[in-house]
Amino acid sequence: MAKTINFCKRNLKELLRDPLLYVFCLGFPIVMLALFQIINNYTNGSTPVFELKSLLPGIIMFSYTFAMLLMALIVSKDRQTFFLKRLYSSPMRAKDFVLGYAIVGLIIGVCQSIVCILAGGVVALITKQVFVGFGRVLLLFVSQMPILVFFVFAGILIGTAFNDKAAPGICSILISVAGVLGGCWMPLDMMGGFETICRVIPFYPSVYIGRVVCGAKNALGAVFIFDKVAYLGLLVIGIYTVISVLSAFLLFEKNMVSDN
Amino acid sequence: MSIITIDNLKKYYKKTHALRGVSFSVDKGELFGLLGVNGAGKTTLIKILCGLTQKSGGTAIVDGLSLDTQIDSIKQIIDFSPQESAVALNLTVKENLDFFASIYGKSNQEDIQEIVDIFKLNDLLNQKAKTLSGGYKRRLSIAIALISKPKILFLDEPTLGLDVLARRELWRIITDLKGKITIILTSHYLEEIEHLCDRVAILSKGALVGVGTVDYFKQLTQSKSFEDAFVALLGDNYG
Repeated sequence: MAKTINFCKRNLKELLRDPLLYVFCLGFPIVMLALFQIINNYTNGSTPVFELKSLLPGIIMFSYTFAMLLMALIVSKDRQTFFLKRLYSSPMRAKDFVLGYAIVGLIIGVCQSIVCILAGGVVALITKQVFVGFGRVLLLFVSQMPILVFFVFAGILIGTAFNDKAAPGICSILISVAGVLGGCWMPLDMMGGFETICRVIPFYPSVYIGRVVCGAKNALGAVFIFDKVAYLGLLVIGIYTVISVLSAFLLFEKNMVSDN
Repeated sequence: MSIITIDNLKKYYKKTHALRGVSFSVDKGELFGLLGVNGAGKTTLIKILCGLTQKSGGTAIVDGLSLDTQIDSIKQIIDFSPQESAVALNLTVKENLDFFASIYGKSNQEDIQEIVDIFKLNDLLNQKAKTLSGGYKRRLSIAIALISKPKILFLDEPTLGLDVLARRELWRIITDLKGKITIILTSHYLEEIEHLCDRVAILSKGALVGVGTVDYFKQLTQSKSFEDAFVALLGDNYG
């Protein structure tokens, strides 16, 4: 465990010194939140998806895609600079590496959630909207953890599978897919035939669960403790998360004794 | 007394034979050179001994431990400095040294300071690794490899791409380590091998051409210089 913690400390230091962390992981979600709230004000709240309670879960889910990007970048760069190859010859094992990266990704994701929720509170104060209560905020925070785990391990997986030039490209595709098919700022019924696809990939279910938890207008009628769609969504997220976690561990272990 | 014994070591990459049944042994405290042109199999051999890649056949015993079954124990007593500087670029020199020491559970500050003194890194401790010159990056990379106090140190092309002064400085450091630990050094710089190594294994296209001292190869080929001996040994195989 000591090796994992030490590796984790190193990764955290590396990322804290990277301006990308502040621009994409913390700054960008706040800008998105503010932007959509301005649009919402101009349209007099006619678009339910831009309502704060509806938008916030989408912004949180979307912000995690940048944690994925950071994970992919640090892993692929470490491989590129021979840093990892050297550590492969040390007593560290695959689980030390993967957990060392994942813990940092989870810390960043938790910070993103806190920043998004605090920013949401500030926006609610400014726009005089009713914000969710503390209990629901906590529940929202917890409800988004499975998708965070998915994104963090997906980032590690992408960084392990691709080099530092290809990995950001692959992440960009996933970021776009998560933004559009996650229904973050586009109602699901506008997506036509994509609706079914949206329900069987993990992004929209996570946003939907968040909206149910917050009691958003476009999730009304769904009481979260009884909502079957939310439970099915949780199952979908769970399946993808388990696949991403296992794949990250297996591929990393395989790469440690690669024939490259 | 042998600290590394390899016997009939083979490595195949699909259709390519990277190592074709290489056998030799390295004595404890020896500075042993692996010499060959590009693609000779030097790096592959080091990768196998460090557990970075799996062998296709043969056996290897490192300090009495089998590569097949005791690789985790072997990793506790070896360290490896790859061809390129393998350091955490956004960490300072001190943070790099502390990090690698902690991985091996050897965070004694006095030991770290000793390495800092040997490698003359005192003035650079708070400088980020990415801002160091190529020579100092490589110096840090080798310093990191010594932080774990390994019994066996693998140096893969340690002076590749360095200018003459930086290369001579690294030679000085490596010479100072002679006898204290066993060092396996790969290079395709003949003067480096001649200057530093006690014995040399010459590889060509994955096969062992011979093992011995520089003088042994000179006598064997009736050559005045090591370069002539090397050309005489490999000339027919090249191309």
